Amino acid sequence: MSKTYKTGTHALNDVNIRINPGEFVFVVGASGAGKSTFMKLIVREEKANTGSLIVNGFDLMKIKNKEVPHLRRTMGIVFQDFRLIPTMSVFDNVAFAMHVVGADRRRIRRDVSAVLSMVGLGNKARSMPSQLSGGEQQRVGLARALVNRPTLIIADEPTGNVDPNLSYEIVSKLTEINKQGTTVLMVTHDHNLVRDFQHRVIMLEEGRIVADNAAGGGNI
Amino acid sequence: MKLRSVKYLTGEGIKNIWANRLMSIASVGVLVACMVLIGLAILISLNVNKAMGTLEQQNVIMAYFNDLNSVLYGNASDSYVPETSSDATSSDEDADESSSSNKSSSNKSSSNKSSSGKSSSDSDEVKKPTDIPDDAYLIHNEKEALALCKKLEKLDNVLSVEYISSEKGLESIKEGLLDGKDQYFTFLDGEYGNPLSGAAKITLKDMGKFKETLKAIQNVKGVDSVQSQSDLADTINAIKNGIGIAGVWIIAILLIISLVIVSNTIRVTMYNRKLEISIMKAVGATNSFIRLPFVIEGIAIGVISAAVSMGILYFCYRVAIEAIREALGMMEIIGFSSVALPIFGVFIAIGALSGIVGSVIMISKYLKKEGSEFTAI
Ligand SMILES: Nc1ncnc2c1ncn2[C@@H]1O[C@H](COP(=O)(O)OP(=O)(O)OP(=O)(O)O)[C@@H](O)[C@H]1O
Ligand SMILES: [Mg+2]
Repeated sequence: MSKTYKTGTHALNDVNIRINPGEFVFVVGASGAGKSTFMKLIVREEKANTGSLIVNGFDLMKIKNKEVPHLRRTMGIVFQDFRLIPTMSVFDNVAFAMHVVGADRRRIRRDVSAVLSMVGLGNKARSMPSQLSGGEQQRVGLARALVNRPTLIIADEPTGNVDPNLSYEIVSKLTEINKQGTTVLMVTHDHNLVRDFQHRVIMLEEGRIVADNAAGGGNI
Repeated sequence: MKLRSVKYLTGEGIKNIWANRLMSIASVGVLVACMVLIGLAILISLNVNKAMGTLEQQNVIMAYFNDLNSVLYGNASDSYVPETSSDATSSDEDADESSSSNKSSSNKSSSNKSSSGKSSSDSDEVKKPTDIPDDAYLIHNEKEALALCKKLEKLDNVLSVEYISSEKGLESIKEGLLDGKDQYFTFLDGEYGNPLSGAAKITLKDMGKFKETLKAIQNVKGVDSVQSQSDLADTINAIKNGIGIAGVWIIAILLIISLVIVSNTIRVTMYNRKLEISIMKAVGATNSFIRLPFVIEGIAIGVISAAVSMGILYFCYRVAIEAIREALGMMEIIGFSSVALPIFGVFIAIGALSGIVGSVIMISKYLKKEGSEFTAI
């Protein structure tokens, strides 16, 4: 598939890739290589111009606007800037994602508590986001992405705004989740992470895939 | 959408109002001002219309009949008595000779009737004795006068017809004008008799068609002359039209202002909530789900404004009534309670409509945006 923005920038050129369920994939590359564009196409924030793109069984070239919410309910998105609602507690931030899909109160209470303990924030449910460290905030973001049990996690530089030690924590969590069967797609600039966690690595350069190392490793 | 979602979102909408309370209060204030003005416009136009209605009731058309008196006392236009002109001149002479009283003149008219009845058509008289033939120009007796009234009643746009006999007409003149000084006018009862023609007092349904109806009445055979205040009818029509046009404009302009105000409030809320909207979209909220809290916020602002406006309008109206009564004395004024419900309905409609339209217009702008575009707003 290819993506050219309205400004004429060819962000992605003839990208051809298959990611299987249950995989953990790092997407790497220089700034402007098209990594974020690649992720945006998958969550249907942007539309590919040519080619074909199938995500979780949805044909994104043909999908109707009305179906996009259903596509998004199959995935969890983690943002580089966390995007927590500052006026809501940790608990409510996570619960918000469940309200949106119409879950009932009892299930919300149960699942939010469970997912918060899973990311190690069981005791911070009543805190406000501003009272948390960057790493903790991102774990709340992760909990929110996970709470609706998606089959695919999309994370564009989730560790971009947290300090290196905490990055390990977050990728460890993602790896844990991946082990339970969830597909993870993560963009990163952090070579240490790519080296230390042995996952598949896709490298983009000027909108093309220049390397696809299924074994992972630090040779990039 | 699930019921619990609707409940949740309604709560969110109400929370939005509180979170955005300064803006909410400001927009309720402007909405209330608009609604009170609309309410006053409605009340004023209702009252003016009512006053005009009372005036209209008084604006009757008097149709004088072409009867013996009208012939005797020269009211009749020549063209209306062509066939009986010989009779008329003869009865004129009779009247001169015998200086007839009321009784003798009615006798005369009955004799006239028999002659004209013969001359017009026998079959007509046989079939329907109380009816008058179409070509009967002269009204001889009360029976014929009443038949003519029936005929007038059937005209387009005629609401009611009341027969005023010459005697009744005289009575009312004496009552109205002479006011106990009838000793000066004894001649009316005396040798010269009652000079008035019989007449029909006609009220109309629609004053807008005053002129056409007047013409139609004039063209009815047997009607001698018509008296009315057409300038009054014109004035009433002009006032009614003016009030109607002004009312529509005032309401239209105020509606637009209300809409702009509510949309602007919703826009501010949406701006404050852009982070939430972006997250909602990311986790798969449907557009209607995202829209609902804002629609509810808009409706709530509208309904609150409607309630406050009702109270203020009631107070304003009472003060205005007092002032008007003081200045103009007793006047027929529409009671607030009789129009309160429809006006409240109008307010609720204005509030809810501007809430719905305002929020839908504003949110559609946001719903097109995706993820990172929100942070750029
Ligand atoms: N919305 C947009 N409109 C126009 N051009 C865009 C848009 N988004 C990205 N681009 C361009 O597309 C190219 C790829 O951008 P992209 O954001 O995918 O890069 P990236 O690999 O994520 O970079 P970084 O590592 O800095 O995040 C860049 O040249 C960028 O300027
Ligand atoms: Mg990027």
